[in-house]
Amino acid sequence: MPATRFSKRRRISSPVKEEPPAYNSSPDELAASSDHEKYHSQRAPSKPLREGRGRKRSCADICSANSTAVASEDSHSELAGPPRASEETPNVLITAAASGEDSPDELDHTTPTFFRRPFRASFSKESRRPHEKFTSQSPSPPPYSRLSSPIATPRTPPVRPPRYEPYKEKMVLKGHRKGVAAVRFSPDGLLVASCSADATIRIWETATGKHLHTLEGHLAGISTIAWSPDGKTLASGSDDKSIRLWDVSTGKAHPHLLLSHSSYIYALSFSPRGNMLASGSYDEALFLWDVRTTRLMRSLPAHSDPIGGVDFVRDGTLIVSCAGDGLIRVWDTATGQCLRTLVHEDNAAVTGVRFSPNGKFVLAWTLDGCVRLWNYVEGRCVKTYQGHTNSKYSIGGAFGVYGGEDGVEQRACVVSGSEDGSILCWDVQSKEILQIIQGHQGVVLGVDTLNQEGLIASGGVDKTVRVWEREREREGAGDSGDAVDAAISTLKVDEQEADGMA
Amino acid sequence: MNLALTDPFILAQDYPEALTGKLRSGHATCLRFNRRGDFLASGRVDGTIVIFDIETSGVARKLRGHTRQIQSLSWSRDGRHLLSSSQDSKCILWDLSDGTRVRIVRFEAPVYIAELHPYNHLLFVASLFEDQPMLVDISGTVPVKRQLPTAPRRLRMEGEDINEKQAAQDAKQSTCVTIFTSLGNHIIAGTSKGWLNIIETQSCAIIHSTRLCAGVVIFLRLTTSGRHMVCNASDRVIRTIHVPDLSKIDLNIDDINVEVEHKFQDVVNRLSWNHVAFSSTGEYVCATTYMNHDIYVWERGHGSLVKILEGPKEELGVVEWHPHRPFVSACGLETGRVYLWSIVTPQRWSALAPDFAEVEENVEYIEREDEFDIHPIEEIHKRRLDLEDEAVDVLTIEPAKSEFEEESFSMPVLLDVGDSESEEEIVAVGPGTMRRKSPGEGREWMNGAGSGESGEEQGIAKRSATNGTKKSQPKMRKR
Repeated sequence: MPATRFSKRRRISSPVKEEPPAYNSSPDELAASSDHEKYHSQRAPSKPLREGRGRKRSCADICSANSTAVASEDSHSELAGPPRASEETPNVLITAAASGEDSPDELDHTTPTFFRRPFRASFSKESRRPHEKFTSQSPSPPPYSRLSSPIATPRTPPVRPPRYEPYKEKMVLKGHRKGVAAVRFSPDGLLVASCSADATIRIWETATGKHLHTLEGHLAGISTIAWSPDGKTLASGSDDKSIRLWDVSTGKAHPHLLLSHSSYIYALSFSPRGNMLASGSYDEALFLWDVRTTRLMRSLPAHSDPIGGVDFVRDGTLIVSCAGDGLIRVWDTATGQCLRTLVHEDNAAVTGVRFSPNGKFVLAWTLDGCVRLWNYVEGRCVKTYQGHTNSKYSIGGAFGVYGGEDGVEQRACVVSGSEDGSILCWDVQSKEILQIIQGHQGVVLGVDTLNQEGLIASGGVDKTVRVWEREREREGAGDSGDAVDAAISTLKVDEQEADGMA
Repeated sequence: MNLALTDPFILAQDYPEALTGKLRSGHATCLRFNRRGDFLASGRVDGTIVIFDIETSGVARKLRGHTRQIQSLSWSRDGRHLLSSSQDSKCILWDLSDGTRVRIVRFEAPVYIAELHPYNHLLFVASLFEDQPMLVDISGTVPVKRQLPTAPRRLRMEGEDINEKQAAQDAKQSTCVTIFTSLGNHIIAGTSKGWLNIIETQSCAIIHSTRLCAGVVIFLRLTTSGRHMVCNASDRVIRTIHVPDLSKIDLNIDDINVEVEHKFQDVVNRLSWNHVAFSSTGEYVCATTYMNHDIYVWERGHGSLVKILEGPKEELGVVEWHPHRPFVSACGLETGRVYLWSIVTPQRWSALAPDFAEVEENVEYIEREDEFDIHPIEEIHKRRLDLEDEAVDVLTIEPAKSEFEEESFSMPVLLDVGDSESEEEIVAVGPGTMRRKSPGEGREWMNGAGSGESGEEQGIAKRSATNGTKKSQPKMRKR
């Protein structure tokens, strides 16, 4: 694979020679970190595929560090039950031979019209850009200002800041025999799907936690799942290099697999109209599929390292992808061209991306223990959320909301898993940690939110899926009335009572 | 949402430049985009209607019910219903949410063109072969047909004797094309003697008539705004016409003035035009020509020819312009393929590397004063985090400028390959692996219309089979 200038540079500057550019963190951090040894012992040098397996929430890491090979054998022996499994095997072998897309060395492409600025130097010093300087000098907005630019009319009652209602455990769903890699609510919120390293997907009812289906057919651990927008189909991407589509109501697999990737599938996303599926793989390619015909529509020469996440924007015109090379790329769906590349100066591997609910920002998880919010149009990082641990696994997360009742502003929060077994909620605006949800044992790999119901689902290496619900304090919400008059009158009553008591 | 990132020069392009793709499913003879522009319906010679998804270039649905060539297609406003008319004298209203036939209307004669009312998908107007045009109300299960007049309305001032002669002539002419105005209150009809009649939908009476030309009016089409109309006639001239504002309350029918704005014709070769279409905004007019492979694009403002789109090596029939984009589709007359023209966008290399900038000429880099200052990393980090104090709004969804958000109908995505394969009888089962569709698969669509599946499809299947196309066992991938 041709290396980009990023990785070349990195390799030169990196103190560790044999370290591949794949998921390395910044050199200083590497040197400093005490688990440097562990970091290396877990990798099998000169076996890049294996290694990636170790890095990602795939079987290898989830069950144990050294059972990479066992995983697929396991699945053969244990899950050979359905006759399909053996039937599909030839296809898998066929695609294994097909080579993946080479990503061209875009960065080495120079034309006379290009004006090159010193990359690393300028980038690191450029932390303060002119307009940022301006904003920093201007008075910072009050902590409870409206998120959007307020169209302030004197008539409207003052919008009160919402109170964060913490999440508490609703139920623990057990059944998976290995770690759970991803959890997703269905679009209507009635179902939860979870996929696991045990090569199965389980569908649960959100309200009761009843187990509805176990979808079996993959030959290896499943790293990612995606619901179609109509909620009838579930797509799953597995370490057996195939993507399967499942009919959720029956629990049956669609007869045609999506085969073209030459390595493990890490990320899937349906287009909002449900006619396209984007898949990102360890083979560094980003594929766009026609869901109706299961035909490979377009392959995007995306990255020079394994792809960690893909997502479609609300209206389906953009796709974002991220990879271990530290790049986040925004693509035009219609033309397949890269429109923007986002990179943070540390070049830490990016393991997950999501568009914000309004599609104006991109949230990215990096292995330097940060979640960053990017304004992708301007190409700069606007928020950094820290406090969780994330140095090894590709952990998931989502946007949540709180507040939003009458007279209370609605605010967004970022929800993410952590490698210490907790789930963190940050306020998008203030970057403060609102809550640390404890419960999982071990790494939390998949987190999804259902905002209209106030639910969070999470799955981790402890083989459980947990659903968390918001503690709604009814009376608390009641006495904070809607109209200003009511508020004032109650205030007066309170004062009188207070006087009386005094 | 990609507009903010797209090259403004690309966005400024109004008309397509080059042939960029083709769609194939049988022999297509007529095309129509839906209002949103995500689907293209094509009618085939064998009576099948194929709906292509523009995003994937794949087949989204096939509708079987006609037995002869499809003559025209018309989408309802919300994109849920499609009206098709065919040479088998039938019009069918399809519900695309499940592919069922809502209404089937039979006529005495083959249908030229049928068009849905712009706001009421249960009302349409049809012009028939050598018969009077019909306004058909299909809100009940039994269609209510009302005949529309053809004889033009003449001013009284003309002499009596001429009137008699004219009346005899008028009786001989027939209406070739009927369309609704943008609000649907009026119908514009073109006759075989070159007359343009404006008919009130409510009363079915002609309120105005103008003679455009001596030849047959072949085709009429309005812009999206409904202010302009393009007319193709057999005198080899394309006319763009100002449509009078018929929605005025104090409309005096004697004041209606239909004014021809431009005439487009090929003076040298005297080409006749197969089909014409307006661009999305009505700024451009494009036309396919008889015995020619090119598409001509004129600008309506100045009436000048701006582009000749080079086509494939075959004559082109129906041409359609995408409702929002500089994107033109046309079907070839010989092969029935659907060809697509659009803009070729080059990859901007600066988008691939954020530390590159595209500049017009070389620029000398001016180093900033503090550019190579050395600060502790912690300090840089901290400073950067402190700077992240701007207000971000990740929730508020900006109301879209287009009106399509409210129309919530979206066609279901069929996963059943038997119904939606893109090539005829050959189905891709994997990379480079094809198999032949098992016989009889998908036949349930055919109920009633047994001869719809012509020999042509099977011919293709046979051909590819003899060509040695790899085909695995049909049973292998089943279940």
